[in-house]
Amino acid sequence: MFEGMTSSTLLEKHPRLEDVMCSLDSVGKMPRGVSAEIRQAVALARRFNETVARPYALELDREMHEDPAFIPWDLVKEINRWGFYTAWIPKIFGGKGWNLGSLIPVVEEFCSECAGIGNLMGVEYFGMSVLFAGWNTRITDKICRDVVEGERSGEPCLIAGLVTEPGAGTDAEETELLHKAQVRCLARKVDGGYVVNGTKVFISNGHVSTWHISTAFEDLSRPAESMMCFAVRRDAKGFNFGRMEKKMGQKGCPASEIIFEDCFVPDEDVIINGEQIRKLRHSPKETAQQVIDFVVTLTRPGVGAMGAGVARGAFQEALAFARETEVGGKPLINQEWAQCLLAEMYANAALARLTYMECNHVTGLYGMAWMLNWKPLYYYMKAMPPSVLDRVMPFANRLQATQQAFRKLIMDWQKDEDARRASGWASLSKFAATDLGIKNCHLAVEFMGEAGIRHDHRAEKFLRDSKLLQIYEGTNQLNRLNLFKCLVAPAAPEAQVFEE
Amino acid sequence: MRTTISEELKMLAGMARDFAAKELVDEREEHDRFPFAPLFEDVLGKAVEVGFFAVMLPEEAGGSAEPVTALCVVLDEVCQADASLGATIFTNALAQEVIGQAGGTDKVVMIACEDGSFRQGLIAFPSYNDPGEVDHCARAARARGGYELSGGVEYVVLGGLVKRALLPAKVEGTEGYSWFLVDLDADGIDASEPVLSLGMHACPAVDLSLSAVPGALVGEEGRGGEYFEAAVDRLSAAAAAMAAGVMKGSFAEALEYSRQREQGGRLIVDWSGLRVMLADMALKAKVADMLVEKAAFAADRGELGWQLASRAAALMVGEMATVATTDGIQALGGYGYMKDYGQEKRFRDAKQIQSLMGITHMRRLQFMQRVMDGEAAW
Ligand SMILES: Cc1cc2nc3c(=O)[nH]c(=O)nc-3n(C[C@H](O)[C@H](O)[C@H](O)COP(=O)(O)OP(=O)(O)OC[C@H]3O[C@@H](n4cnc5c(N)ncnc54)[C@H](O)[C@@H]3O)c2cc1C
Repeated sequence: MFEGMTSSTLLEKHPRLEDVMCSLDSVGKMPRGVSAEIRQAVALARRFNETVARPYALELDREMHEDPAFIPWDLVKEINRWGFYTAWIPKIFGGKGWNLGSLIPVVEEFCSECAGIGNLMGVEYFGMSVLFAGWNTRITDKICRDVVEGERSGEPCLIAGLVTEPGAGTDAEETELLHKAQVRCLARKVDGGYVVNGTKVFISNGHVSTWHISTAFEDLSRPAESMMCFAVRRDAKGFNFGRMEKKMGQKGCPASEIIFEDCFVPDEDVIINGEQIRKLRHSPKETAQQVIDFVVTLTRPGVGAMGAGVARGAFQEALAFARETEVGGKPLINQEWAQCLLAEMYANAALARLTYMECNHVTGLYGMAWMLNWKPLYYYMKAMPPSVLDRVMPFANRLQATQQAFRKLIMDWQKDEDARRASGWASLSKFAATDLGIKNCHLAVEFMGEAGIRHDHRAEKFLRDSKLLQIYEGTNQLNRLNLFKCLVAPAAPEAQVFEE
Repeated sequence: MRTTISEELKMLAGMARDFAAKELVDEREEHDRFPFAPLFEDVLGKAVEVGFFAVMLPEEAGGSAEPVTALCVVLDEVCQADASLGATIFTNALAQEVIGQAGGTDKVVMIACEDGSFRQGLIAFPSYNDPGEVDHCARAARARGGYELSGGVEYVVLGGLVKRALLPAKVEGTEGYSWFLVDLDADGIDASEPVLSLGMHACPAVDLSLSAVPGALVGEEGRGGEYFEAAVDRLSAAAAAMAAGVMKGSFAEALEYSRQREQGGRLIVDWSGLRVMLADMALKAKVADMLVEKAAFAADRGELGWQLASRAAALMVGEMATVATTDGIQALGGYGYMKDYGQEKRFRDAKQIQSLMGITHMRRLQFMQRVMDGEAAW
């Protein structure tokens, strides 16, 4: 039946080769330097694990068991001192400009020791991606340089991302649901800015962050069409911390409730709003989805990497146990069933890693920061001394023209199918890798028996930590549906999602 | 089980349910804060009073001499609310059963009658290990007409709370291991702080190290493994009942929540994606219930092959519960991960229940060995 078809038509058939094998296209386009950067970054993360995370992870978890209100400031300062909070800020915004492709493997490294500490570091880049997604270069520049200054001064300046509301979790991740959502976070336009009222929940790093990048709605009856995004400092009037959640795991990373009470946000801290959105090519609802997708395309593979991390960490504890334990008078490591199980666990971690590495290729080509992987720009930025950029860019970023250029290039010119592919793969990695992650943790605890349930043997902590991965950045159910929407539905045009 | 058990057991179930509702539900989170908050000693005291620690004990020991089904009924109900109390009941029952298998009923009688408090009456026991597999045994030396125990025994459940423990030790010069009753107040015993664990925090354990501590031999030297395996045969059904209870509790809370929470403009229970997940939980709970019932009845009637039925139930229900309680959190989204609801605790508890009586893979291999040895499997 394929007779007469050209090769390119054949490859266009579902599943399209470009959808299922993005790395094939990406490898040739990737600057050579990226692989060396990943090696360096991972080595640094391993050094951090050995000197900071491994010795402290259990103690911190125990401390939080004892005092759920404890805030790990010293650890935040330590991560700050190691430079992880600015490493992946692009040079044009004052950061070190490490290639984004190295961020996610570093997240895996952190989480192979402690997913709580991993989130304490990694979720900074969730906050940052919400900030970036509106492509407001002026405010992005301002806040990123605050983070850089926080590193220099030793007083960390972190960024949290505030999306979820008490009544809208899954709904806040998808515009098809958002338009029926019970959102309450209202941004009312007033002279010179907005007055915001409402509550955000489960905000990772809330209590330790200085800048809070939040979504809100200009019209609560039409949330999908009226989403806006702003930045607010923790010391602003009307910005209040509510409770800090008592979580099962990832205890080292606070999850906070944040309450806006007549909180005034000046126009200059608005990242994107209805007025600006109306100037873009897409409709407001499409733009809202685009902004959400920009964020999750970066962060969901990050959670996938956390899945790979816990899968590997659990495997490592199980392996150590097998090496030091005799069962029935024989070393466990020499029992065939145990070898099969350990092989299975190894494979689970590897499969999880493959999903996020593939995503790394996808986002490198189609994500909001694709330009950073464009060879001429990559090498240009490498060669450019930071001192020169730091003199020029703060001014350039403040220009209306710069912002407009970025919005045109990244928002207006983004092809739908590129967006779809990036978002679909991000979801794939998110749910597949985290399912594998928790699976390994279950296996490790079971394998280790009595040792598995003891805090001092670490496996149980991995299990508690891993469960969260199936929940945040969209539950794994929502991510399955998003994969369907992005990668399956195009082959079944009659399909409707969220319409059953 | 509620539908098929006798009237008498229905009353027992009702009593256990009322007890759980009154004593366990409201304070679950606070109780689970141990060792960073006080232990629920008052609840343990009341559980002694209503006879939860003597369900299967012979009457002469002050027990109710009920069949294993009765213990399962109690554990199922209690664990729907809080498996910590369930694990305490189970651990004590397992220790009693080992002593009973060794023919040492008089020893249980002695303990149970001493006074009504849980400190005097309950027996600490390393209920997550099979000493025949992972060798956490002390050494026993013959001395002064009896035995003295030295060395370490890990993860002795209730060890920091009660007066006596039943501990495994190897008598010098003999094969296998033996069980000894040890007075935990004796000189030469060093108990660790409570071991922080995955689940069931209010049923804590300690690591013990012993140096020449007097121990009373239970049964015969070197036959500890035999007694333990026989006790595991019987109490596996009870472990399955615990897992089933936790699973039912998780399902009930997931269903209740899903009927109240809206996303995308409708109750989440009305999204078929979520409903299938709930259905899988309900199916597992139903199958678990059937397995526990079958295993417990078979054990009580001494049906051919009841031992393997009981073990199969523990392994399969134990595993199902770990999956179902994982989904039980998921149904509540972020809220399920928080201490405000019971789901995260049930997830931890179910996983810990799975490891009762030793590593599951070894129990599976033992099961297979017994099938190959010709024990009627079905
Ligand atoms: C510790 C923690 C940290 C977090 N950090 C942040 C953060 O930094 N910033 C932030 O904005 N948010 C954060 N979140 C929020 C997180 O993203 C949400 O919890 C998540 O999106 C799920 O929302 P929900 O908890 O309201 O669950 P719900 O949306 O209420 O979901 C409940 C259940 O219903 C299912 N469900 C819902 N809709 C559907 C549907 N249409 N079809 C099928 N099933 C459905 C879900 O899959 C889930 O099983 C965090 C959450 C936690 C727990």
